[in-house]
Amino acid sequence: MIDYLWLVFRVLVFPGFTFLLFLTMFCDWIERKIEARMQNRMGPSFTGPSGILQPLADFIKLLTKEEITPNDSRKYIFRFAPLFAFSVLVFALCFLPIDGTSVIPDASFGGDLIFVMALISVANFLLFLSGWSSSNPYSSIGAARVLTQFLGYDIPLFLLALAPAFLAGSLTIATIVDSQWIPFVVLAPWAFVLFIITMQAELEKDPFDIPHAESEVVAGHETEYSGGKLAFLKFARDVQIVFGSSLITVLFLGGANGPVFFGLQALWGTLWFVLKVVVIIIISEYMTVLFARLRIDQIVKANWKFMLPLSVLSLLLTIGLAVWVYPMV
Amino acid sequence: MTNITTWARVKSPWVLHFNSGACNGCDIEVVALLTPKYDVERFGVKLEPSPRHADVLLTTGCVTEQCAERLKRIYEQMPQPKFVVAIGACACAGGVFAGNYSVVGGVDKVIPVNAYIPGCPPRPEAIIDGVVKLLNSLQQPAANKEEVKTDGKQ
Repeated sequence: MIDYLWLVFRVLVFPGFTFLLFLTMFCDWIERKIEARMQNRMGPSFTGPSGILQPLADFIKLLTKEEITPNDSRKYIFRFAPLFAFSVLVFALCFLPIDGTSVIPDASFGGDLIFVMALISVANFLLFLSGWSSSNPYSSIGAARVLTQFLGYDIPLFLLALAPAFLAGSLTIATIVDSQWIPFVVLAPWAFVLFIITMQAELEKDPFDIPHAESEVVAGHETEYSGGKLAFLKFARDVQIVFGSSLITVLFLGGANGPVFFGLQALWGTLWFVLKVVVIIIISEYMTVLFARLRIDQIVKANWKFMLPLSVLSLLLTIGLAVWVYPMV
Repeated sequence: MTNITTWARVKSPWVLHFNSGACNGCDIEVVALLTPKYDVERFGVKLEPSPRHADVLLTTGCVTEQCAERLKRIYEQMPQPKFVVAIGACACAGGVFAGNYSVVGGVDKVIPVNAYIPGCPPRPEAIIDGVVKLLNSLQQPAANKEEVKTDGKQ
């Protein structure tokens, strides 16, 4: 009985759903604040202390608005795609060791890195479906762009995620985290830099944000959404950003590893994990604000001409080092 | 529950900007709202690209005959609850173009308007003031109810 209650508590409250919900809103607030400060603005200031409740206010407001379903849309896909995208991403987050172990206890299995990477693809495909089903020219263009971009950048992302797997000698996320007594960012910095750039493309953030380029395609695949469905679509995007940063944290920065000074190890683990996620989010937000948007043809060219060969090279280099050089040291 | 909803609505008004035939004077003042000097994101205001996402429609211009139909359609595309702010003399009553053969003259002849901000063009401070007054009017009924309650107790 206690075991079941503990499971429910873990999944619904502490490292699970509620915690992830507030972590996502916190990260969204950090992003908006950094973006505003870099543009010499104040950013959200009056919703709670320093505007920290702004994402919560946006979310509640969208939930209480009218929901419009266009007549020509594929109704079921249109309704369920945002919800599924959101839940798939939260489910994927549950496999990452946020406080030292995965959110669902004992969920870790051999090769769950591949499973988690596959879940990102599913979530991206659901975002594509959300645009495709809304029967709006702008949504369709946005959806097609989502697919074009993600087909290109999924392969380098996976190749780059294999670098930590080779260094740890395992495809299990828990083992990868445990074997990082030196974080892999030190052992394979080239893979880390490439992974951050590819993740930026995978998350549709600024140098690569053509799927919802406001000056070209209105709001891309989100154009026809309103009310609660829009709330979940926007939230899915924020969860995706947190998920991407968590994946980088787990693969390269040692996840929840860190010094424990006093008290519970799980709390310190969570603290280190959240701090590392925030650092990654700050880096990626700096890139978002600093760089201008590329065109779709430039993105496809950049991917197949540069990112794919570079990621193969990085993988070969990492394998060489992991097999011949690092065991000697 | 209604208190939380009202709080969320007041704290996060997303705006859509529509030019129904303005001379671009008012539009530049609207853009000035979003830029560093006035930065309305402090109050949670965000400029949204799609009418489906917006809560407040900021309309400028005297509404030409050709634009009237489109303005109405944009308004109908917005989800409830929605508010319209008419910015500038032209949007309020037609301005210098009132009575022109090709002009409807005034946003309120096509769609219902919640707040009028006169001026040619109005200063960004005036626009912020108008939007804040509109949002504060949302909280008014709740405040009145409380007053009634306290009266009853006394």
